[in-house]
Amino acid sequence: MTVSAGLLQALRDVVGKEHVLHKPEDLLVYELDGTIDRSLPDAVVFPGNTEEVQAVVRACNGFDVPVTPRGAGTGLSGGAVPTRQGVVLATARMRRILDVDPVERTATVEPGVPNIQLSEIAAEHGLFYAPDPSSQKACTIGGNVAENAGGPHCLALGVTTNHVIGMEVVTASGEVEWLGSHGPDPVGYDLRGVFIGSEGTLGIATKVVVRLVPVPDTVVTLLAIFDDVESASETVSAVIGAGLVPAALEMMDRVTLQAAEAGLRCGYPPDAGAVLLIELDGIEEVVRGQVTQARAACNEHGATEIRTATEPAERELLWKGRKGAIGALGRIAPNYYLLDGVVPRSRLVETMGEVARISEGYGFPVANVFHAGDGNLHPCLLFDEREPGTTARVLEAGAAIMRVCVEAGGALTGEHGVGFEKNRFMPWLYSETDLENMRRVRGVFGNEGAFNPCKVLPEGTGCGEMAHQQGALAAAGPDAYV
Amino acid sequence: MAASETPGWPLAEDAPDTADLAKCVHCGLCVNACPTYAITGLEVESPRGRIHLARAVAEERIPLTEAVQGHWELCLQCRACEAVCPSGVPYGRIMERARAQLDAAPPSKGWERRLRRFALRNVIARPRVLAALLAPVRWFARSPLRGLLRRSGVLRFTGPLGRLEAQLGRPGRPYRPRDNAGDGDVALFTGCVMSELFGDAHRASMRVLERSGARAFAPRGQGCCGALSAHDGDLAQARRLARANIATFEASGAETIVVNSAGCGAAMKEYGELLAGDPDSADRAEAMAARVIDFSEYLAGRDLPAGRLEGRIAYQDACHLAHAQGISAEPRALLGALDGCELVETEGADMCCGAAGIYSLIQPAMSGELRARKAAQFREHKPDVIVTANPGCQMQYEAAVREAGIEARVLHLAEALDSE
Repeated sequence: MTVSAGLLQALRDVVGKEHVLHKPEDLLVYELDGTIDRSLPDAVVFPGNTEEVQAVVRACNGFDVPVTPRGAGTGLSGGAVPTRQGVVLATARMRRILDVDPVERTATVEPGVPNIQLSEIAAEHGLFYAPDPSSQKACTIGGNVAENAGGPHCLALGVTTNHVIGMEVVTASGEVEWLGSHGPDPVGYDLRGVFIGSEGTLGIATKVVVRLVPVPDTVVTLLAIFDDVESASETVSAVIGAGLVPAALEMMDRVTLQAAEAGLRCGYPPDAGAVLLIELDGIEEVVRGQVTQARAACNEHGATEIRTATEPAERELLWKGRKGAIGALGRIAPNYYLLDGVVPRSRLVETMGEVARISEGYGFPVANVFHAGDGNLHPCLLFDEREPGTTARVLEAGAAIMRVCVEAGGALTGEHGVGFEKNRFMPWLYSETDLENMRRVRGVFGNEGAFNPCKVLPEGTGCGEMAHQQGALAAAGPDAYV
Repeated sequence: MAASETPGWPLAEDAPDTADLAKCVHCGLCVNACPTYAITGLEVESPRGRIHLARAVAEERIPLTEAVQGHWELCLQCRACEAVCPSGVPYGRIMERARAQLDAAPPSKGWERRLRRFALRNVIARPRVLAALLAPVRWFARSPLRGLLRRSGVLRFTGPLGRLEAQLGRPGRPYRPRDNAGDGDVALFTGCVMSELFGDAHRASMRVLERSGARAFAPRGQGCCGALSAHDGDLAQARRLARANIATFEASGAETIVVNSAGCGAAMKEYGELLAGDPDSADRAEAMAARVIDFSEYLAGRDLPAGRLEGRIAYQDACHLAHAQGISAEPRALLGALDGCELVETEGADMCCGAAGIYSLIQPAMSGELRARKAAQFREHKPDVIVTANPGCQMQYEAAVREAGIEARVLHLAEALDSE
């Protein structure tokens, strides 16, 4: 127990007794997010506004107790897992829409607002919020800011950092500051950009100003069916090579299609080797031309069938399968380990081969979903954690796959973050000097190591490293600087 | 399932299946669909939280405590989470079995559970007892005494009785199986409370079914579907009632069993699951479940001459129709075909109203919060008619209409379609 009676009382004084959880049964679900890592907090606290967030952070700092911020707990790198116990600061009560400005095309919201709600309220002005993680019905804007969340529709429009103009934050040291601006052009150092994607290690966003974009006139979604992943991958290169920037360009392999179809009945061909979802939007005449180009590229590379959806309900059905695909894997295996790596598009086919080889070597079936347009892979290793030793082996296999991505000239994460899951792999990409510079950035925001500890950067001790994680690292190779 | 696999459970034979629990990959996509999460903002009051507690009890990480009981009992079992779960977690089944554990060894409120079990077994499930008990209720609903009590304000101080009064519409004559026990190709399921307090809905259902060309009848000997008992964790009683209904409907010879109450329909479509462990009944239960069809689902496939209903209609999904049976387009299409009506979509039409079987009686605070959300929508949209397809919801909307201070009729879907 790292939370003393004194701190518990201090937290209750700030937010009220009913907004502090500390009974073991109440804490259990806060030990996890969407990933494998677990660690029980000592207390969960629900501040209702900026001042309360500030007071909670200061109280924890005063008692030298770690703080871990949490949105909806849908994250996929262990970012909201309180690795060193202590206090989880949840934003669930801060879910007010503060302002929608259809003229400036911005909205100001609290961090606990679910992503989908932004698009819902913007819809009445013909606008929407572009980044659309697959968890968008649940995940929060605060969590999106922390992870610099992406989504299928980020290919053309960019990820969270391209859509958040400014933020009020409570820093790790407990200062309230404004980063960025209310307008589009902040000057000076871009601290807003530093904060977005910092995975909750620099502070907590308490108000977020987002950009809203107009709903396009015409949207066409194509479902192109292929016999294998190779032909689908070549089509991706051909589409981009033809100068098209689709709103989304997604690929799913056979295993994923079968799970999605079984779970969500969205009309996918379960016997296909791979499908591409290609979405084109804009002015009708332009879209029409692009659809012709995209169809030609698909046909040229061996598409066996191309379906076209123009009505919202038809398009929604095609997307329903994609957005629920990962979760639908629960139908074919009790657990999956969802990886998030990036490779240059030109290395896609070869990397896929390596992924297949590694997962086969470890004996784990693999399902692949990817944001093919930007080379963002999501291999999912299927396993059963109830078999002893399996979790350690699946982490080992995951580490080997990440290694392959890095060696192909890619990155450790496209959108899920480094979190606790992959902090040990950071030396594959960065020198000790790079990492030290990043630590100094933390210091600027007052994080002495207790604010969302053990995330992003490799830590020496005190992070409760589990033996299997050490094993995973050892198996993946030496900590070479790539 | 072997008892040794589930050391944490007091009632091993009805313990939540470890395979069902393992299906949850804790992705969290369910949380915002959950009404109790929407109200509390607490993940422990969300499907993921409740499943995680069940896993922890199964793995003996925590004992079955009063706090665990509280979190499970706050669940409405609306199954909105199941509808959005990509992994296909059978949440309803998990929660019924979790509650069976509470029933076997309640950490607290033992007498409340025993009282409920007694009432469900000896009143709700016994048609004559229920009829005798509800006859004065029907009389009271239409008597001048009711108006007097309302105006006096005394009902505010009568706790659950006052809440029941607010939910009471103006029930017509009962409709019991003996009222139409002939034969035909379509059997109507009449249920328990539905047949005593919603006779008008049954009569309307019969007329609408006939207008659609069906020969409908109500087989004698049928009774409560068992859903209320199952939801409360009394699976033994639910199985008894299911077996009785299976025998009745087998003997009826009807090809199709039409159910106009969402909660009953969902439960009866799952008879196969409920009786899977019973070698004598498993196959028959599957066969019966396959013959069950919801009233609107049945009509959607038939040629129903359009009726007429003037005004703005707000259709509110019954959870066990929309989420458990996946039926939400059919009722809207049927209503949309009525002459003279305008369908109004209110926000949260598919979110639980807080009736949830007997939930409004045992969890009045949460039920009230959810009812208030509906009332706020009714105040904003001012519909003339509110239509739903489940008796409990209908009662909750009576109360919500009064809370909203608007003039609106609350009708069962069959009554709306029956208007000419």
